Amino acid sequence: MLLAALLIGFAAPARAAGHGDSEKEGVDVKEIIFHHLGDGYGWEVPFSHVYRIPLPVIVRAQDGAWFCFSSSKLTYVTVEEDMADGKKSEYLSQAIYTAEKNGKEYHFMLPHVSDNAGKVVQVWPLTDAEQAELHARAIAETKADPKKAEHSVAISGYAYDATTGKYFKEYRPLDFSITKNVLALLIAAVVVTAMVMSLVRYYRRKGMKAPRKGMGFMEMLVNFIYEGVIKNTLGPKAPKFAPFLLTCFFFILVMNLLGLIVIFPGGANLTGNIAVTLVLAVLVFIVTNINGNKEYWKEILWPDVPIWLKCPLPIMQMIEIFGMFTKPAALCVRLFANMMGGHMIVITLTLLIFIFAAFGVAATGGSVVISVLFSIFMLALDVLVSFIQAYVFTMLATIFISMAVAEHEHHDASEHKAA
Amino acid sequence: MELFTPDFGLVFWMFVAFILLFLVLAKWGWPVILKSMDSRADTIDKGVEYAREAKEQLDNARAEAQKYVEEARERQAEMLRDAAKMKSQIIEEAKKEASAEASKVMEAAKVSIEQSRKEAELQFRNEVSKFSLDIAEKMVRKQLQDDKSQQELVNKMLDEIEKN
Repeated sequence: MLLAALLIGFAAPARAAGHGDSEKEGVDVKEIIFHHLGDGYGWEVPFSHVYRIPLPVIVRAQDGAWFCFSSSKLTYVTVEEDMADGKKSEYLSQAIYTAEKNGKEYHFMLPHVSDNAGKVVQVWPLTDAEQAELHARAIAETKADPKKAEHSVAISGYAYDATTGKYFKEYRPLDFSITKNVLALLIAAVVVTAMVMSLVRYYRRKGMKAPRKGMGFMEMLVNFIYEGVIKNTLGPKAPKFAPFLLTCFFFILVMNLLGLIVIFPGGANLTGNIAVTLVLAVLVFIVTNINGNKEYWKEILWPDVPIWLKCPLPIMQMIEIFGMFTKPAALCVRLFANMMGGHMIVITLTLLIFIFAAFGVAATGGSVVISVLFSIFMLALDVLVSFIQAYVFTMLATIFISMAVAEHEHHDASEHKAA
Repeated sequence: MELFTPDFGLVFWMFVAFILLFLVLAKWGWPVILKSMDSRADTIDKGVEYAREAKEQLDNARAEAQKYVEEARERQAEMLRDAAKMKSQIIEEAKKEASAEASKVMEAAKVSIEQSRKEAELQFRNEVSKFSLDIAEKMVRKQLQDDKSQQELVNKMLDEIEKN
């Protein structure tokens, strides 16, 4: 973990120097943080900020043609040797990938300056007159706001290619690329499957014997969630919902923990990505409402309140329906914010070293010690948070489901628990 | 901001990955694990229950054995007590009987002795009288003519002796 924390640090200033046209001296903290929290078309490798493990890009062009190509086609690495001291530096630059299909040419690029910065876009070359007009617009905008540097201004509908200095008309295609996050997702799914299946195989082989060590821990977790959360809350309906809830728990847990490992199989900020938590929350919403019984719908559509609260104006109904959506939304945001926050704090703590580097050697030395110690502490805390968040998500999902399927006599108890 | 706008591709893949994972685990994973865990827990519960019952039985058996031992001991003591009582009673009775028998025997002996004594006395008297008569006769024959007055005198004298 110490190595991991340092790795982020090593990569950071170099990248900032590579990309930031205007901020050559300082560290672009915001960009580094969001780069690490965000998705990407390649997977970073240790000790290099330009080389990536290429991943497949799958896009549907504007006219419906499908393309699948390696993400390495969208970038290239240039090595420059400084004449003065002979130091070599590597830069990552944009390339335009041209593919031919049915006699037509398609161009794709990964723009830095665009509304779709960091996403694959389909581009079309522009005429010289259009180029000139767009350059003029960019300069005008730069003048209006002196904080903005030229060519760092995104013009809606156009992508700027820093390598050639040209603007292109852009279109964001339907993007099914196996990005870093998608691959991490699949790895997490495979890991969960392997964990569960190894336990299943153990039972098949050893029958009644209790598993030890790793398997024992896995079984303990299953037992903890099943007995402690699902069975306690759902009672006799537990077996019906247990597969969904257990899958939720282990998938979230593995994604959380994989996110804390900095090098290849991990490092993707999965549960700190709103798309992932959104899908989980939507699934909880679907499961809850599909299984909602008569009581549940009655509580929503005709709750037990004074008639004037629900009859001419459906006030209570509106509140209840709003509540249907806020419950899973809270699940989504809670997990997302917790995990993203954890990642952000660790990266920021590491970046402190490079921020303090400007104040001299003593400040750098001191901040290295403090930052590394705090980073380790935060990572250890994040391991705990990974468990807690997976647990909390599962527990709340269980409670929402139990409220939807509860018979009336159990209703009060489950509502009390939710509160 | 990019972080807060869900990316369509990722949503799609997440959905696919989760559904696939769920289907695979719901079919082959979780039911087996939960069933195995349940059945093992049941077995353990049963084992514990069995052990508890066995222990209870053992305790009961022990208590019962203790009870039997206690009872046996009591009975033994009682028997000993009875035996002692009986012994003393028998001895007592035997003593009594023996003494009664003895007294009876003594009585009989006394009677027979008395009788023998009387007989002997009688015989002795007869014999003494006969002897004395004979002696007296022999002595007196020569001196006395009158046998009859002599014998009366002797008898009178013998009676006096007897009275003494």
